[in-house]
Amino acid sequence: MTLLRVKDLHTHFISRNLDNEIRIATALNGVSFELSRGEVLGLVGETGAGKSLTAYSIMNLLKPPARVVGGTVEFDGRNLRDLQSDDMNSLRGSEIAMVVQNPRSSLDPLTRIGEQLVRVHTAHSDATAATARARAVEILGSVGIPAPEERMQAWPHELSGGMAQRVLIAMALMNEPKLIIADEPTTGLDVTVQAQILDLLRELVETRNVAVMIITHDLGIVAHYCQRMAVMFAGRIVETGNVNSVFDNPAHPYTRTLIDATPERLRDLKHKVHGGGAPPNLYNLPTGCHYVERCRFADDVCNDPVAMEEVGAAHFAMCSHISAVRDGWLS
Amino acid sequence: MTLRTMLLRRLVISVPLLIGILFFTFMLVRLGGQDPVGLLAGPTATAEEIDIVRAELGLDKPLFTQFWIYLGNIVQGDIGKSWISNRSVLLDILERIPITLELLFWGVALGSVIGVPVGLRAAFRHDKWFDQISRGISLLGFSIPTYFLGLVLLFVFFFLLGWSPPGMGRVSLLISPPPTITGSYLIDGLLAGDWSVARSALAQLILPVIAVAIISAAPIVKHTRAIALEVMSSDFVRFARASGLPPKKVSRIVLRNSSTPVATFIGTEITGLIGSVSLIEYVFAWGGAGQYGLNAIIRGDFSAVQGYVLFLAIFSLVVFILVDLLVLVLEPRAAAE
Repeated sequence: MTLLRVKDLHTHFISRNLDNEIRIATALNGVSFELSRGEVLGLVGETGAGKSLTAYSIMNLLKPPARVVGGTVEFDGRNLRDLQSDDMNSLRGSEIAMVVQNPRSSLDPLTRIGEQLVRVHTAHSDATAATARARAVEILGSVGIPAPEERMQAWPHELSGGMAQRVLIAMALMNEPKLIIADEPTTGLDVTVQAQILDLLRELVETRNVAVMIITHDLGIVAHYCQRMAVMFAGRIVETGNVNSVFDNPAHPYTRTLIDATPERLRDLKHKVHGGGAPPNLYNLPTGCHYVERCRFADDVCNDPVAMEEVGAAHFAMCSHISAVRDGWLS
Repeated sequence: MTLRTMLLRRLVISVPLLIGILFFTFMLVRLGGQDPVGLLAGPTATAEEIDIVRAELGLDKPLFTQFWIYLGNIVQGDIGKSWISNRSVLLDILERIPITLELLFWGVALGSVIGVPVGLRAAFRHDKWFDQISRGISLLGFSIPTYFLGLVLLFVFFFLLGWSPPGMGRVSLLISPPPTITGSYLIDGLLAGDWSVARSALAQLILPVIAVAIISAAPIVKHTRAIALEVMSSDFVRFARASGLPPKKVSRIVLRNSSTPVATFIGTEITGLIGSVSLIEYVFAWGGAGQYGLNAIIRGDFSAVQGYVLFLAIFSLVVFILVDLLVLVLEPRAAAE
């Protein structure tokens, strides 16, 4: 059953320059994807592609000059874009929880861990402080924090990065969310801790039947922990499908470039990575395919509007030259 | 870091600091081109008389020898004699410190009571009209010269409107001061139960306190606003919003996390304000340590100038220690280190 259905989401940064002319950076240009309970979706792409912005647009946490200007976000049968801010606020942290980058700086430095766990719970339920406290201890234990009772008294600065990330996951779980959005949850943690955190997330999906969206630029994480993936470029999803299908037979030249740029492939292929370069100018995007400037298959057709095409079983890509790319990539 | 090691460390650091400050003021007043000997000896003095006065003051010796003697005296608790009042500088300054502190305290207190909430509100209403207007007014507060502000206040409220008594000291000339307990005429008057003294002292306080408040509020508004805005854009406030905490709770997190940097800023501002307070004292004939110091500078009263600067230095050190103690109370991170 589909839990989250994002359709044609557009987010713009609207500002004025020094000459008082309105300038619009089209940061999201029609993002569409779906996510079901018990499923892990990996959202990948380079810096500035709009991965985090997609998350914050869904959560309705954008601050000016960023603004959602079009599209729908359907969550559990409701269109989130129609909700009043109070209703949206009561959804955040309870039904949709976030796990963020920089866990240590995301905890309130002047409040003990236990108090922070208790306050996300009491903000969203009628639970008394005592039951919230008991629940916090239980959940801290379940996310693998030793001596949870004592850790309740800890200050954020006393935690390591990995411990802080476990605390954030515990905070996410306090209200039994249906969806967890993990925005680069392991950036800055060392490799063994990374694996522990991701194993923990996967375990939650299996035992609690939550949906998880992992935002990352690490294809290794996607390959190991996600069932489906969506590749973003310049505010659009350019390819999406099951992880195996996308990795085995990528259709979009940008996906191929990303895969070629992973350390393992660089070692195997011994050839130059094609298709690198600067991200396109969001103030003035190409009319057709956004990847046109960096693509070696590009021709005049690429300047025409381009749509998602089915390129395999439940596997879609947004490119006009799919067969040429698949056949001629290594030449 | 425990309280004791912190205090000890502070004290150890402050010794070379104070010696350095003493050295520089000592040399500056002597190299500044002022010659107090001519003033003291009088216009009719002969060359021999001037030489005698110079020798009496010890100004005929080489500079470094003079400084060495001065340091030796200080260690014995003697910071010199004022050539004008012919009294010990230490006594002169000690009896004036409460007078200056009274003005400074009420001024900064009023400035903070106005400045902190305005700064916070401006941050919470970022770029809305309240923010714009408070920013404009605070810029105005920054730009007014201190002495001019004092003069304008006197001109408007004493000369034009007649609401205020003349700026001539801390209590009306017709009223005899209360017995000294704290050194503040207002508090001493209240303690003595003498309402007429307390009322007169209060009336005299209002204008200079407003002047100090205006001068201190401007930077407090600016920095409180900047601090709160920075806290609001921090990861943990963003995360608190993402956790769906009610806006009131999020605001409370912002306030608590702004409190330490704001308190630290006000503390450091106090040490800087004491210069402006000296000018306000001068305009209102307040008679505190600040006015004493300015007079000493104008008349070339070397020992008094040095004593005044020493007072400023020690005052700053004490304020910084108090600020550190406050941070220790407010911040779990600082207490843990």
